[in-house]
Amino acid sequence: MKDPYEVLGVAPGASDDEVKAAYRKLAKKYHPDNYQDSPLADLAEEKMKEVNEAYDYIVNSRKAGGSGSAGSAGSGYSGYSSSGYSANSQYVNVRMMIQQGNLDEAERILDSETGDHTAEWYFLRGMCYYRRGWAQQAVQHFQRAVQMEPNNMEYQQALNNMSRQQNYGYGGYNTTGMNNNMGCSACDICSAIMCADCLCSCCR
Amino acid sequence: MFGYIRVQKSELKLREYDAYKSVYCGLCRQLGRDYSFLSRFLLSYDCTFYAMFIMSLGRSCSGFETGRCRFNPMKKCSYCKCESDCMSKAAAVNVTLAYYKLIDDISDSGFFKRALCRAVKPFLSRWRKKANARYPEIDSLAAGMMRSQQEAEKSPDCGIDMAAHPTASFLSSLLSAEAQSEAQKRIYSQIGYGLGRFIYLADAADDLEKDIKSGNFNPFNSEKENNRDVIGNNLSQALAMTFDAYNLLDLTDFRGIIDNVILLGLPSVQKEITGTEVKDERSV
Repeated sequence: MKDPYEVLGVAPGASDDEVKAAYRKLAKKYHPDNYQDSPLADLAEEKMKEVNEAYDYIVNSRKAGGSGSAGSAGSGYSGYSSSGYSANSQYVNVRMMIQQGNLDEAERILDSETGDHTAEWYFLRGMCYYRRGWAQQAVQHFQRAVQMEPNNMEYQQALNNMSRQQNYGYGGYNTTGMNNNMGCSACDICSAIMCADCLCSCCR
Repeated sequence: MFGYIRVQKSELKLREYDAYKSVYCGLCRQLGRDYSFLSRFLLSYDCTFYAMFIMSLGRSCSGFETGRCRFNPMKKCSYCKCESDCMSKAAAVNVTLAYYKLIDDISDSGFFKRALCRAVKPFLSRWRKKANARYPEIDSLAAGMMRSQQEAEKSPDCGIDMAAHPTASFLSSLLSAEAQSEAQKRIYSQIGYGLGRFIYLADAADDLEKDIKSGNFNPFNSEKENNRDVIGNNLSQALAMTFDAYNLLDLTDFRGIIDNVILLGLPSVQKEITGTEVKDERSV
């Protein structure tokens, strides 16, 4: 096992609150929601596990040593809910291939079908595109799938995930507060001038 | 296709800025050593980032040294030292890409610019040959990118994704060549794909007005409605893809600078590009 303090990025002498804060930050970073449908989801999961283990280890060892109470070590984010694939899917093998990253084969099977496609076909084809990074096509396919079956949560979720990424914005993911807004609005200028004016009348 | 990966200077710490400059100067010096004095003029921010990134991945930066700048002998520069061949690899990428960009320019620009490009070509092709001898895999990746780009542009159903694919997969293969394990390979390759997609689409969005006038190929040209939304959404998505993968790395060297590029520099490039679009529409 790696040094748990190193995993959380805190010094061994850090207070319980610091450990907790570091844990929260990392848990947010590797949260499964950020890696929904991502080809890297399993790697994020590993990281998450590492962080959870490190946190549990620190909390438990501190409890044993009696250095303050850190609350229960119930690390909250452990469950990666593997997407609830509908059991009556006609593309079980294709879903499997996509999961395993065998996109060429999955695409070959999907593309070999002719005639009108079902909503699930559009969803899976979109997923192949998404895994390849072809976002524009992926969105179009997901939209089509949702249009055909508006009540299907799985399709809706995939589409929501795409729109989350499209609204990444100007560093929208950035919650570290690096983006200090140092701007100066018209109001600021006005009030500054008014203050300056007050000073002027002092001098007279 | 150059100059979109840059830092946001105002948010860098002074020591980070110095480190960044020393990579920049180090790469400039490497170009001078490996190719010729004139090749130093090709130095680009993208390749500076590439050099810094692969140095950080391999943890091969071993310190800094000072020397004199060739362009301004009065100035003292700090140069970044590197244990492995990161710098000369980045220099090879720099001249190789410059060569292929020139070939591309010759095929689709006006009379005067074309004449100018032709005049410069012998130099570039000599340097490219040298780079090819040293790093044949870089040259073959770049050549493959140019070939598939031309094919994609000729294809009748070439959308945004297909058009961006060659650049994206070029950078993806370039970065994943640095990987030591299968997991690293997947992460690097996604970072490269996202970055490459971003660079290509940013460049296309930047050239949109010009390409509509001249009739050159542009992937955003066919998207008639809500063009600005399409551009913004796709750029954001490419950044999100890069960021998600980047988060899984635990870098230490040049961390602050690379964070700055990915979290602030690239978004501000996007802002600049989509922002100027708004202005253009108002003036019409």
